[in-house]
Order: sequence, then structure tokens, then C-alpha cells
Amino acid sequence: MRKIVIVAALLTLLGGAVAVAAEPPTRAEYVAQLEGICKPDAAATQVAMRGARADLRAERLPVATAKFAKATKIFGGTVKKIAAVPRPPEDEARLAKWFGYLNRQESYLQRITAQLRAGRAIKAQRLTARFIHSGNLANNVVLAFGFNYCSFKFSRYG
Amino acid sequence: MRGRRRGAAGLALGALVVALFAVAIGASTAGGERTQDGHLIVSLDGGLAPLTLPRDRPAPVAVRLAGGLQTTDGSLLPRVTRVELSLPGQGVLDTHGLPMCPTRKLRDATTDGALEACRDALVGGGRLEAQVHVPNQPPFAVHAKLLAFNGEVRGRRAVIFHGFAADPPTVVVLPFLLRLETGRLRTRLVADLPPELGPWPHFAHFEVRLFRRFRFRGHDRSYISASCPIPKQFTAGFFSFAKASFTLAGGQRVGTSITRSCRARAN
Repeated sequence: MRKIVIVAALLTLLGGAVAVAAEPPTRAEYVAQLEGICKPDAAATQVAMRGARADLRAERLPVATAKFAKATKIFGGTVKKIAAVPRPPEDEARLAKWFGYLNRQESYLQRITAQLRAGRAIKAQRLTARFIHSGNLANNVVLAFGFNYCSFKFSRYG
Repeated sequence: MRGRRRGAAGLALGALVVALFAVAIGASTAGGERTQDGHLIVSLDGGLAPLTLPRDRPAPVAVRLAGGLQTTDGSLLPRVTRVELSLPGQGVLDTHGLPMCPTRKLRDATTDGALEACRDALVGGGRLEAQVHVPNQPPFAVHAKLLAFNGEVRGRRAVIFHGFAADPPTVVVLPFLLRLETGRLRTRLVADLPPELGPWPHFAHFEVRLFRRFRFRGHDRSYISASCPIPKQFTAGFFSFAKASFTLAGGQRVGTSITRSCRARAN
């Protein structure tokens, strides 16, 4: 009988713990969690893109392309990681829109890399305009979140 | 006012190592870029004119910047104690042979008076908006017309802004000192808002356009020049164009930066 009581108590405690863990985050908690993910990736992007501008100017297109490919991979990885984080329910719609822009940016980066690889500079140029434009739109959607590392900053890309 | 020779090299200003590449199809968003810190939104907009520039030599340009602060809930704006505008480090700010306007000639001057005193040193203009909070009175806005003059303060080059509002009659003379630093946006214009302004006016918004063509010793010159040095396989490029930082009373700093594009001209 005593055993049953203990097991029941443990189950109750466990249930409580599960309930606590499943509680959705507040916006502040969400922002803090995402910034923790984005920070190292933002730094990695800067490192990956270092010198890309000089490479382009010196017509070292394959070298610049490799840097873009790396930045694209980092961007995609970051989006995947932050997309998995539970979202504050009251911000669901807004965040869905934000992730829409982020996915669009990722797609543009992939296409820029492909066009550079194919030596089609002007096409890459046009896609870069769209990439930046989407980044600015993404920032506007989550302006109230006050993101730093998770916001789009052109300066990180060379 | 006095004319004065300067080292010909001019200052690095203007922009324009182009970062990536792209067409100038408006990467900016309406109203410029914004960032938010707590309930405070910082905005910055601006650009170069013309957008089409030579790849390999600077050409005369006008620089427009507009920005400011607002609160999300309409509450009182914090007091700003310092404004910093950073611009790219490549290009030219040329004051060689351009007269300078001493700040003493601008104090207590209306817009017409300032122009009369320093027209030769004029390098731009714009407007300024401030919120005024006088105790026990509802807040009101002051809209001032801005003039920008070439000048010098304590031996350092400066852009001296003169703001005048007719209602209520207000004059502000604000020197932005030029500083050259390292980094991409290494030309900085820094203004400390003088304590004489008092605790009541709260900086809200500014818009300024800098442009001046002048002639010196038979040569046409431009106050600001820039190029669009992009690789030849591209026709246009993006670059970090400007950053605005505001230091608030209490020491907190807020700011935002903008990206703009240029097109390469066939020389």
C-alpha cells in the first residue's frame, strides 16, 4: 500500500514537472533563448564572409562563392534551430510571418550561391537586392522583440 | 567668415566600398530602417544622389539623412545628450577653399540672418523637430528649419547646424565635430547637446541634406564626393551607408544603421 502511495506521489510530481516544462515561454524568455542561438551563428557568419568583398573586387569569384555557401549553411542552420523553439502563443502569427521572411532569405542565399557558382554575376546581384529587402521586412515584423543577433544586419555579410 | 586652405586629400566620407552587389531596387523599406530598444524606436533613412557614380573616381554627390526617436506608447521621449552620425570611410569630404562660418555669427540669428552672415559657407539644410515638456503644461512640438555650414570648433573641422523656429522663437547652434576612426563607417559627425538647452526640449526627429558645389582657384569642387567601386562584372552594389547613435541622459546608447545601393556608371 505504502509503495503505491509513493509511486502515485512520484507520478503526480512528474506530471507537475511535465506541465511546468510545457508552459509556453514569455516573449522575454523567447527572445533570450533565440539570441543565445543566434549569437554564435552571427559571429560565425562574419568570420565566414570575411574578405568576400575583396575577393569579388579581385575577381576571385570561386573563393567568394565558397564564402557565400558557408554563410548560407550557417543561416539555414540558425533558422532550423530557432524554428524549433516553442513560441509565445500571443506572438504566433507575427513569428510565423517572420519565419516566412527568414525562409525566403535562406532561399535567396541559396540561389545567390548557385548563380555565383555558375558565374552569373548580374543574376546574383538581383537576388542580393531581394535578400536584403526581405531582411529589412523581417526586421520590421519583429521590431518589438528588440532582437540584436537574430535581426538581419547587412554588415555581417561583408 | 574666412576662407581657408585645407589639405587637398579631403576627408574620407562618403561611402562607398561596395559590399556585395545588387541592383538598386530599393532594399530599404519605407521610412527607413528601425530598431527598437524597450519602448523606444530609433529610425534612420537616407541615401545618395545621384545613385549612378563612376567606379574609379569620386563624383559630386548629395547625402540625405533623416532619423529620430519615438516611443511605442506615446510616452515622453528620453533626453538625448549626444548624437553621432557615422558614414563610410571612402569617398571625399572636401572643404579645400570653402569658407567657414564661426558659431558666434549664428547665435541669436534667424534663418535669414544666418544665411546673410554665412551664405558662403552653406553646405546643406533640413529640419529638426523636438518635443518640449515644460512642467505643468501639455507637451508641444517645435519645428525648426536647419541650415548646415562648414566650420571649425577648437581647431577641428565641423558641420555647424543652425536651427531656427519662429513659434516659439528658438535658436539652436549645434556643431557636429568630424572624427576619423577605424572600421567601415569611419567618418563620424559627433554633436554633444549643450546643457544650456535645458531639460525641456527632447530631440525627436531630424532631416538633413548635405550638398555644395563651389569653385576654388579655377577648379570646380564638391563638398561631398563618392564613387561606386564595384567589380566590373557587376552593375550595382550595396554598402553600409550610415549609422545613427543617440546617447540618452543616463548613459544608455541606442542606434540603427542603414544599407543603400549605388550603380556603376560607364566612365
